[in-house]
Amino acid sequence: MTAKTPEQITRDLLRPLSGVSPRYMFWAALLAGVAVAALCAFLYQVYTGLGVSGLRTPVFWGFYITNFVFWIGLSHAGTLISAILRLANATWRRPVTRCAEVITVFALSIGAAFPIIHLGRPWLAFFLFPYPSERGIWPNIRSPLLWDFFAINTYLISSVTFLLLPMVPDFALVRDRAAGWKKKIYGAVALGWTGTPRQWHRLETAMHIMAIAVIPVAVSVHSIVSWDFAMAPVPMWHSTIFAPYFVAGAIFSGIAALILAMALLRKLLHLEEYLLPIHFENLGKLLLVMSLLWFYFVFAERLTAWYGNEPSEMAVFWVTQHGSYAPLFWTMVFCNFLIPFPILAIKKLRTITGTAIASFLVVVGMWLERFLIIVPSLSHKYLPYKWGTYRPTWVEITITAGTFCTMVLLYMIFSKIVPIISVWELKAGQHEEPHALRLATQPDQVEAD
Amino acid sequence: MAHQWGMAIDLDRCNGCEACVVACHAENNISTVGEEQAALSRAKHWIRVERYYEGEFPDVRVKFMPVLCQQCDAAPCEPVCPTFASYHTSEGLNGQVYNRCIGTRYCANACPYVVRYFNFYNPVWDKPLQLQLNPDVSVREEGVMEKCTFCVQRIKAREIEAAAEKRELRDGEVQPACVQSCPTRAMVFGDLSDPESEVSQLARSSRATKLLGELGTRPKVNYLPRDSWHDSENA
Amino acid sequence: MPIPEAIYGLFSDPSSAERGMDALSRAGIRPDRIVVMSAEPFDGYSFSKMDEATPMPWLAAVGGIVGGTCGFLLARLTQEAYPFPLITGGMPLLAPWPTGIVTYELTMLGAVLTTIVTLLITTRLPNWKPKLYDPEVSNGKILIGVLEPSDATRTEIGSRLLGAGAEQIKTTFGDVPS
Repeated sequence: MTAKTPEQITRDLLRPLSGVSPRYMFWAALLAGVAVAALCAFLYQVYTGLGVSGLRTPVFWGFYITNFVFWIGLSHAGTLISAILRLANATWRRPVTRCAEVITVFALSIGAAFPIIHLGRPWLAFFLFPYPSERGIWPNIRSPLLWDFFAINTYLISSVTFLLLPMVPDFALVRDRAAGWKKKIYGAVALGWTGTPRQWHRLETAMHIMAIAVIPVAVSVHSIVSWDFAMAPVPMWHSTIFAPYFVAGAIFSGIAALILAMALLRKLLHLEEYLLPIHFENLGKLLLVMSLLWFYFVFAERLTAWYGNEPSEMAVFWVTQHGSYAPLFWTMVFCNFLIPFPILAIKKLRTITGTAIASFLVVVGMWLERFLIIVPSLSHKYLPYKWGTYRPTWVEITITAGTFCTMVLLYMIFSKIVPIISVWELKAGQHEEPHALRLATQPDQVEAD
Repeated sequence: MAHQWGMAIDLDRCNGCEACVVACHAENNISTVGEEQAALSRAKHWIRVERYYEGEFPDVRVKFMPVLCQQCDAAPCEPVCPTFASYHTSEGLNGQVYNRCIGTRYCANACPYVVRYFNFYNPVWDKPLQLQLNPDVSVREEGVMEKCTFCVQRIKAREIEAAAEKRELRDGEVQPACVQSCPTRAMVFGDLSDPESEVSQLARSSRATKLLGELGTRPKVNYLPRDSWHDSENA
Repeated sequence: MPIPEAIYGLFSDPSSAERGMDALSRAGIRPDRIVVMSAEPFDGYSFSKMDEATPMPWLAAVGGIVGGTCGFLLARLTQEAYPFPLITGGMPLLAPWPTGIVTYELTMLGAVLTTIVTLLITTRLPNWKPKLYDPEVSNGKILIGVLEPSDATRTEIGSRLLGAGAEQIKTTFGDVPS
């Protein structure tokens, strides 16, 4: 990449903020339409009862919890890229960090909505909040759902901060170029940033601390989500592998979502000179590693179950591999491993298009994986008399589709009001190394006061 | 010592008549969900009679097993409820507090016996059946989990009576609806902490087993299967 | 508080900015009167070597400890605070593992919140009042200047900065001294 001047960088990266095309409005309207339909479906469900979903005895969790785990998992994109690569001083991360952090914040917000969507009495969701209630009762900290409450909120606050703090200098940049009401708004959110060394040092120290803090938080969040399953005596759930398995799966789906987002942004916002093939190469290699890791975890878990030959577990094992869930299971294996592996492993195929295709398949495959963890196990518990099935209804499908559309819509809106590539970080990565300069040892003349 | 309520079910006597199921519905204000919802496996039978068929015609054998909430001492449904709607009472029952339930349905997933039921809709009784509702038991709204309570309203009522009369409860005085209605007296209910009660004696029988006891749930329902059940496995 | 009086030069690249900084030091200007602004952090350059020391990491650690204590107390006290103990699943009333999890989460939250608060306080943001600033900084220029220069030294400072390579000299109080 030819080194760009700061003016060029500023111009290119602020260009998306300067207006919307008819094509943008069309897609935004379409996505908003689906999102509104999803909201209506949810309100219908609240009014009528959860009976409008496909849930039933014994499959009490279905699409909603699949989506919950999926979106929380997706939110690990930002953490990996931003925090780990920051700490590892990987310079190629600079154009990628904000794209990733935005995915985290929106995916987390959407994911955190699902525990409310799936409740039987969502208007009482505040019971989860620890406050001295007039009923004289506090929440039960033994419940993994309570751990979810604390973990997701901590992660959300950390991620939002991790996203917002480095946006302040870029808000100042937009403020200085804007006029009228835009100048007022950007001026307000820029917090009066001027760019003194003090401010830069503090900001970078804060980012460093946050990067260190947010990695263990992210690991704990998805471990705790996995324990929603592992803490229940359900065949194929009660396994110690769940926490690392889920964290690895989360990072896997997160990187895939990031690659997809970057591929789309590159094309739609004309960022070809900033999101380079090398970025997709590097992320593609990471995705390959995670794909292998995912396969390793699945293999280890299934091998152990097969050797254990415990009847209840084997019932779930066979129904997933050979029975009624087999089509979904093998689709998942194809999408997560069999097809991405050659695409990502062969350098010629590891292009932007190649990694984008592999990423799309991984996103689909990981959604299926969440579904296949939840539903086959619940439909085949210990008493065969109470084995069951599950089929989603239009309510669940609409809400699921609505969340995907909401994610894309939020991302689209964000890319129009904030530069999607962190301008100051990109510039900071480009200037030359400071050379030693003879510093003044004593003043030439005393300042006359 | 506080009562520890338990049950013994003699599977040799159970003939699958399901009077217990009907009595439970009547006593505990459990609505029928209708044909369509029942086909979707949403029927709420706090006690159900499981039927297992063995063999080919004409040598078919049927095994009946009434399954209800086992009121486990190490209930997996209790620690997972975030609002303490499912908790263990001092008398050994697994209490379900409808007012605390926000409907996460985690307890139902954790229960290995699948004896917890969810109100997917508001319950409906066709007129004039609503006149038959038991005033001692609340009606649960949609979004709330429910399950067998060992007819805790009857337990409490008898305890209050006995306390008012300044006496102890007699063995067999408290009878949940299912126990009361069983025509073959297959079900026995009583205080497991009293070694002389009928249920304690039956629990000590050599035939007594626990359903899914290997999971460590410490259930309080003792099943006494027919000896010939073991024969059929060797036949 | 009105915008302080200042005279400053706008430099287009970090090397000349370093020379400008050097020129000011040689002129004997006190470091607390020198003001620097840039659109990106220039770590390692002499003109950004100020205000580097911060207790932020230590404060974050303290915040973590405070958060963890709150989490621990929350987990323990709320489980005992019932009219009667609510036993679940045969588990102890004060369960160590869940207490540990809640303590851990609130430790991290405490560290994060303390970092944010420390950042806002030490950078004195948000500060929307009118202050010394030049929009040229957003265009990539590095601003190096002197606050409240005495009348005698203004011209001197201006010429030194120009000599070091400043593209422009500006003031906040009137004409640029020639």
